[in-house]
Amino acid sequence: MDSEPLAQKLDQVQQPPLTEEAGQPNIVAFCCNWCAYAGADLAGVNRRQYAPNLRIIRVMCSGRVTPGMILQAFVSGAEGVMVLGCHPGDCHYRVGNKYAEQRVQQLHELLELAGVDPSRLLLQWISAAEGELFGRTVDSFVAHIRKLGRLEAGK
Amino acid sequence: MRPDEILDLHSARKCVECGRCTYACPAAQIGGDFSPRSIIEHIENTGEVPRNKDLWLCMTCMQCTEICQFGVGFHEVVREIRPELSKVLPPEENHGGVPELMERLSAMRGIRPNKQQWILEDLRVDDSSDTMLFVGCTPYYDVIFRYLRQDLLEIPRSSVRLLNAMGIEPKVLADERCCGHDAYWLGDAELFEKLARLNVEAIEKAKVSQVVAFCPECYTTLKYRYPEVVGKLGFEVRSLTQMIGEAVDEGGLWLDPSGEDLTYHDPCRLGRHAGIYSEPRKVLSSFANLKEMPRSAQLGACCGNSSWVNCSPMTRLWQLGRLREAAETGASKMITACPKCLIHFTCAQSENIQLIERSKMPVTDLHVLAASRLKKG
Repeated sequence: MDSEPLAQKLDQVQQPPLTEEAGQPNIVAFCCNWCAYAGADLAGVNRRQYAPNLRIIRVMCSGRVTPGMILQAFVSGAEGVMVLGCHPGDCHYRVGNKYAEQRVQQLHELLELAGVDPSRLLLQWISAAEGELFGRTVDSFVAHIRKLGRLEAGK
Repeated sequence: MRPDEILDLHSARKCVECGRCTYACPAAQIGGDFSPRSIIEHIENTGEVPRNKDLWLCMTCMQCTEICQFGVGFHEVVREIRPELSKVLPPEENHGGVPELMERLSAMRGIRPNKQQWILEDLRVDDSSDTMLFVGCTPYYDVIFRYLRQDLLEIPRSSVRLLNAMGIEPKVLADERCCGHDAYWLGDAELFEKLARLNVEAIEKAKVSQVVAFCPECYTTLKYRYPEVVGKLGFEVRSLTQMIGEAVDEGGLWLDPSGEDLTYHDPCRLGRHAGIYSEPRKVLSSFANLKEMPRSAQLGACCGNSSWVNCSPMTRLWQLGRLREAAETGASKMITACPKCLIHFTCAQSENIQLIERSKMPVTDLHVLAASRLKKG
């Protein structure tokens, strides 16, 4: 156990197990390091309360999020997936969020074919200054996924 | 199953280690450390599965089994040892694992796939029909590989047109799932069984007596592999390629001659796995001149990739070699009957490989080409 990185241990302490009681639905949020993650941070600093269903995965850029990662989240039991990145033109790597946009469009098509409601995958631009927008986005997304119901993974 | 039991089951004890299988094997020629003969030898000597990553190079194209004079089922041995191998050395997924994940997603019972957007108005489908068209993953591939080819949806569309021309208005199920072919050959028995049960359940509920598949992988999986899981099927599985071949032969289908020179690439699933060699040739020679490649029919070369794993510059070289072989026959197009062969060859052509002449040989699907020769109106 000692060889485990500290960050991983902290994750286990801070996050409740993904069970029914921990509060459905399970949401995975890919946050870019420069904007959306800082926005989430700001929401925390401002003590903005938002739905606790989120599992945030920090990535260096929303362009890092591959279609495989998003599909893997659904296959592993996520009911909704959010990809949060910088506003167009603000990307730290200039065009990463453009790639994210293209990929999410492609995935919306694939999810529709597979019979998964495409609105279970949300792409939203959140800057480092928009803590309030982060909170609102999470709240409305969780409410929306609740309305859609379970994805019935693995049944 | 224990490795030595696998040898018994697929008559691998009869192996005399002559090496014909390795000589014929495309994976061995592509490179890497893969040889059907030495796998058998390794299991016989040590009683263990070889810890060799190159086992995923095998396309299970059945060339080894075809050429073996002693009836050893090499490709089945490879399939049976893969579950054991994937625990220690999992395969390298290509395309970000998306095709495999779509397979997993479609195995969730709660999800109802909705793959019917490709049906155009001129196609006649009938919900009360006795015949069902199994569409498979081509609509997914259309989205994933649109950057390579924009015409993949023409394959299911042309299939409906051909069936219509034969007087059949097929039923198309909204909730059929992936057939599970890749899971089966990559050794994921659990996922395969789930998909097989879900599909058989859906097909039986649809009350059809025959299921037609244009994709050779769907065809062989439904026909030969589903009974392994669910027992005897309550419906007949037919290959569209075979059906149009028979219809052309009996005069039930007339295709407008074009006189062009074509060459035919045998998909391994249709050829060696299902034994369908003559029908696609009948279809093509009914409207064009068929020019055979040196490696064709039973000895037809594989397209170089299977189940979306272990794609590499070496497999692309193999594909370009096959395309060159096709061009050398003097044919103007290479025809194949498998959507995956089509995608792999198109991909090899779009790849920018230094020092190697790029191939411009057009590759087309047999069903699309045949449907374009139907009399209009």
